[in-house]
Amino acid sequence: MNKAKLNYVGCSTPKVDAVDKVLGRAVYAEDIRFQDMLYGRVRWADIPHGIIEEIDVSAAKAMAGVFCVLTAKDVPGNNRFGIAFPDQWALAEEKVLSIGDAVAIVAAETDEIAKEAVKAIRVNYCELPVLSNLHEALANDAPQLHASKISSYKKKSGDHYYPLGDGGPQYDKKKRKAEFLHNLKGNVFLHTKVRKGDIEQGFEQADVIVENTYKTHVVDHVYLETESGVGKIDEHGNLVIWNSCQYPFRDRRQIASVLGISQNKVRVIRATTGGAFGGKEDVNVEIHIGLLVHATRRPVRMVWDREESMSYSTKRHAFEIWTRWGATSEGKLCAMEGKVYGDTGAYAGLGIFTIKKCGIHLAGPYYIPHIKVDVCSVYTNNIIASAMRGFGVPQAAIAHEGQMDELARRLDINPLTFRLMNALDVGLSTETGHVMTQEVGIKATLEKLKAVVLKDPSLASYWDDLK
Amino acid sequence: MKKRGIGVGSMYYGLGYGFSRPDIGSATIEICEDGSVIVRSGQVDFGQGSDTILCQIVADELDIKYETIQIITADTAMTPDSGPTSASRITYVCGNAMIKAAQALRKKLEHIAEDILGEKDLVFVDGDIHSEAHPDKKMSFANLAKACHLQGIQMVETGWFDNSTPDVDPDTSQGDAYSAYCWASQLAEVEVDTETGKVEVLRVIAVHDVGKAINPSLVEAQIEGGVVMGLGYALTEEIIEEGCIVKNTSFEEYMISTSLDVPRIESHIIEIPSSEGPYGVKGVGEPALIPTAPAILNAICDALDVRITELPANLENLHRLIREKEKSS
Repeated sequence: MNKAKLNYVGCSTPKVDAVDKVLGRAVYAEDIRFQDMLYGRVRWADIPHGIIEEIDVSAAKAMAGVFCVLTAKDVPGNNRFGIAFPDQWALAEEKVLSIGDAVAIVAAETDEIAKEAVKAIRVNYCELPVLSNLHEALANDAPQLHASKISSYKKKSGDHYYPLGDGGPQYDKKKRKAEFLHNLKGNVFLHTKVRKGDIEQGFEQADVIVENTYKTHVVDHVYLETESGVGKIDEHGNLVIWNSCQYPFRDRRQIASVLGISQNKVRVIRATTGGAFGGKEDVNVEIHIGLLVHATRRPVRMVWDREESMSYSTKRHAFEIWTRWGATSEGKLCAMEGKVYGDTGAYAGLGIFTIKKCGIHLAGPYYIPHIKVDVCSVYTNNIIASAMRGFGVPQAAIAHEGQMDELARRLDINPLTFRLMNALDVGLSTETGHVMTQEVGIKATLEKLKAVVLKDPSLASYWDDLK
Repeated sequence: MKKRGIGVGSMYYGLGYGFSRPDIGSATIEICEDGSVIVRSGQVDFGQGSDTILCQIVADELDIKYETIQIITADTAMTPDSGPTSASRITYVCGNAMIKAAQALRKKLEHIAEDILGEKDLVFVDGDIHSEAHPDKKMSFANLAKACHLQGIQMVETGWFDNSTPDVDPDTSQGDAYSAYCWASQLAEVEVDTETGKVEVLRVIAVHDVGKAINPSLVEAQIEGGVVMGLGYALTEEIIEEGCIVKNTSFEEYMISTSLDVPRIESHIIEIPSSEGPYGVKGVGEPALIPTAPAILNAICDALDVRITELPANLENLHRLIREKEKSS
């Protein structure tokens, strides 16, 4: 049987949704309307860390047009959720750990009434000390934000969760125990170790050593469409939620658990989604919509304002990366050591994996025979940091590319040439000891850059040492 | 004074989840009686274009017209679970699932077509089937679909692709962590105003090894979007938290790049095939962004001879670093 040539693969075929988007016909969650639809709003925590002493919802409940006000005690299922680990409350219980914690939710006839109603809720707190950065969280006298026995969270959450968000065919729970500290040490949740070769021997070979600490900042995804969704009960009595997301099946798992219903009674449909960049991996409006629909049996819509999105959505991690690189006078990398600390905010989200991915990419696309890296995920009272395009590798690249340029400068080698001299290739291994068996792309990308520079006099003039 | 410099940023990125975490993609393909096709997959297209790419793959695997395919995605009651849209993995993982489902259907279609036409050397092309030896022996894909339905042949197939890898050693993290890696290098040229600390990025040259560009325009769109996001990350964007409370919640105070900030971006696509990806595909969604900020930071260092280790390289930070350097020298 003859396979004809490829007609579409490799061609710039128009996008399937292009016409609908250009004509404004694409339906986003915010565009969906139902009869008798209520508007949901969240009462966010007023402080980043404190014990909840009292929540008084009576004034909000008494307002005309308010249909329901829910707090932790109204959650029918497990009040705990979270992707990697169920360390978040659907509605805050006992205490708040971040300004993005939801203390109460309201459903009302109009969005204006809902906004007024959340303001009318009175919450009294006993304020606790705030850990606003890595150093405060790692200090010996820092209060521990989460329970020592993290396993206690798991029991509350029933069986809907994968152990520590992991799993897979060859996952060894026992072996991983040391990495995901089952007994929290202070505010460090995950400690991953990379050990390759012999670090001391590696630095003995070094003629030049460059040591730096890189500090990266927090940024937001800034998708065009903010967090939004609409939910209702369908003709089969099932909960249906249209949302703006990256993985409806994981949303379903988390919604069902909080509502205490089986997963086949929850249907999540992704409406047209206006950007995500990792920021819509974690649940945002979905559980709250589910709770409000469940309580009112009416359709409920919830849309975050831009201000809410900027304040309470997940963020790109702030990192502090100390790293030391050694190279020989011939320009060969010989050793790299790193200590990587990531501020994952008040909850793990996917953030612990983001931090790990940074640490295991710290060597960049280069061959280094001797490596020692320690990666720690740290809880603070900041807004949760989780997935964002690049997943920790942008921060790793800022560090390894800074180190590469500094070493090249010290060795008086052109920075592009220095990269080519150390680029991974067939037979060489990555930071995690993965020996490359297929053609490796990094040299081709550098050779292409080199060709572009050499062909363009305005660029070539910067580098008279590039040959 | 204005000073110019250039800098390189390189990166590698382990595609998918690795470390023995579940990393699945799936597709159900159904051929209707008239030969039109419904593709169902749990994956999410949040704007990057995966729906389009998956339809391109199905069109070529069945040799039908792209326009005859309808794709339904990301509905937990209607589509099979395809894992999250993340880790630059959708084309790689779901693309493979599409091929599996399409090839299962194609095998049946070929068998029935051979019976009907009485020929063995059939060519499928753009919605038609004909004999290579006797081109007049032919039929349309629509008629073939109808014939299959009349014979009660199963015209729905599911493709499932598991991209999970072995786990690494838990004490040393050594092992084959990921099934495939993406590679990229970018070069930035900048001009820095030493009075104000303002950085203007003049051009970015981006070279990405994507294995195979299923849709080159969409690859370029990813690269250009990534560069713009990386530009904001390096220079202007910063969430300011005071006492754990975000202070800049509007676009007046949180500065994303505007069209006026965007430099000339030259994208170059390298295609070194991966062994497992469909048609040799790797990923580009995240790699697009990763080298940009390092390239800009290295270019600023080239221009000023000042190493920036605390981000962002905004006006305030750069102005301070330039003053400190002036004082020390």
